[in-house]
Amino acid sequence: MLMFDIIAVDISGRHVEDGEYFMVCVAVSFSVSPDHVDKTHQVNILHFKSRDAPELTDVVTMVEKTVEGLNPQATIIMEAGDMFNRPQWLVTGMFSRGFKYQESLGERRAIEIAHHISVSVRRLFKIKCPPSLQSDEGIL
Amino acid sequence: MEKVIVVQRIDPGSDELKNKRQLAEMKDLAYAAGYSVTGEIIQSRYPDKKYHLGKGKVQELALAVESLNAAKVIFCNELSSLQLYNITEICRCAVIDKFQLILEIFALRATTRRAKLQVELARLEYEIPRARIIVSHLKKEERPGFMGLGSYEDSYEQDIKGRIARIKDELSHVQNHNESLRSFRHDHGLSLVALAGYTNAGKSTLFNALMDEDVDVADMLFTTLSPVARSMDVMGRKVILTDTVGFIEDLPHWLIDAFRSTLNEIFLADIILLVVDASEPLDVMHDKLLTCHETLWEQVHDVSMITIMNKTDLISQEELNEKMEVLGYLVPNPVHISAKTMKGLEALEQAIRSKLPVWKRKEISMPLSEHSMSVLSWLFKEGVVHSVKYADQILVDLEARDEVINKVKSFSNA
Repeated sequence: MLMFDIIAVDISGRHVEDGEYFMVCVAVSFSVSPDHVDKTHQVNILHFKSRDAPELTDVVTMVEKTVEGLNPQATIIMEAGDMFNRPQWLVTGMFSRGFKYQESLGERRAIEIAHHISVSVRRLFKIKCPPSLQSDEGIL
Repeated sequence: MEKVIVVQRIDPGSDELKNKRQLAEMKDLAYAAGYSVTGEIIQSRYPDKKYHLGKGKVQELALAVESLNAAKVIFCNELSSLQLYNITEICRCAVIDKFQLILEIFALRATTRRAKLQVELARLEYEIPRARIIVSHLKKEERPGFMGLGSYEDSYEQDIKGRIARIKDELSHVQNHNESLRSFRHDHGLSLVALAGYTNAGKSTLFNALMDEDVDVADMLFTTLSPVARSMDVMGRKVILTDTVGFIEDLPHWLIDAFRSTLNEIFLADIILLVVDASEPLDVMHDKLLTCHETLWEQVHDVSMITIMNKTDLISQEELNEKMEVLGYLVPNPVHISAKTMKGLEALEQAIRSKLPVWKRKEISMPLSEHSMSVLSWLFKEGVVHSVKYADQILVDLEARDEVINKVKSFSNA
């Protein structure tokens, strides 16, 4: 069975809440086959704050920071909506490593898992940590 | 054959090859619906709110309709009811979009009551968001009801909703029947195998080749609409193989919902055989595979998939290898076959067999009696009997699911 190394990335919180954008970016390194996820290798989670709505370049910066340290050979996979539905050729050129939109069932499942993680982590941050404890490390 | 003109609006800077392929597919759809395409108009621009194309282009279209004596205009793009109304007003002929055309084809192919109901349901689902606007356009000046206080729109919309509810109710009976049939088949150890894939990939040809059947086959889109299911012997194991409707790009949700009871034959199968036309150009294969993955996503969970690269007799091995190298990430468990020349069917049967649930293999002894003979005949039906030896006892080398083995064990111990 053919396996492919990918990094599924998802960002939660791209909406204004209490006058700011509090976003959680999750990058998960997987080995996937065309129709299922085979192995989960590593999960990176970073959070970012911004007063303004993120633009395409901001999203690219967030993703690049989050995938740091993950398998350099793996291709970054994201939903087209996360990149404002811009054409793939345009977005691919903005990344320092391989990038493409989700296609196969395996890639879609991987994105789904990354999405569950990012939503849950953001909710945990919002519920459990008062704003003062939320690090400002990832300010855009 | 009625003459039609095909119209396509493309976004500036969009993929040219993809646009060409979509236009060609539209012509094939028109042919499948029994039309002859006499003209085509393409405009590159962003959609206009009133006419979808530019007003000048619509006037050009009206002239083409008149000179070519076309009975219908078919748009590749989805049209709003306002756009439909405005274009019809200028062209003075029937105007439809891709989805209405698909519905027309389905209506032509619908032979069973269930299929007819599904087509009617899809048509109503398509119509309901447009109902209010269509009626308000048609009855602009009229004031119906007592003192002009009534409205056509509400009653028309209510009428559609009522019809949708009645059809859904009737279809739910069919769905319930199918579900009980499915669970009955599962209980009896029959695995469900479904043929899925883009329309005209060769699913029915493969079905015929595997089953030695004669279901309708044609080089045409949407030849199969109603599902056909047959029992098939896969190296000693019985499965139910189902051939059903194919997928198409941008299949809207309301169409999937209307054909839910038919598509469930695919979505609720144990093994999906994803049929791909391997003879097509690489970019076409890629887009069609993508459509299949998109359609199956959200609908299937934890199902085994085998990709059947069909029509391999039309390409060389090198060409096939090249395609597999590029498309490997979209092709789970590939098997190369040609349904037409029957090449590779054995490998396919082996692949299906490897995906079937594992059965236990046990040697079972039963007393020599008349009742044991009837149990043995039952075992031939329920499992795979590899050998039977008659000595002081009957020794059976049996491969079957747990329930059958437990049942026969309790009998032999009794």
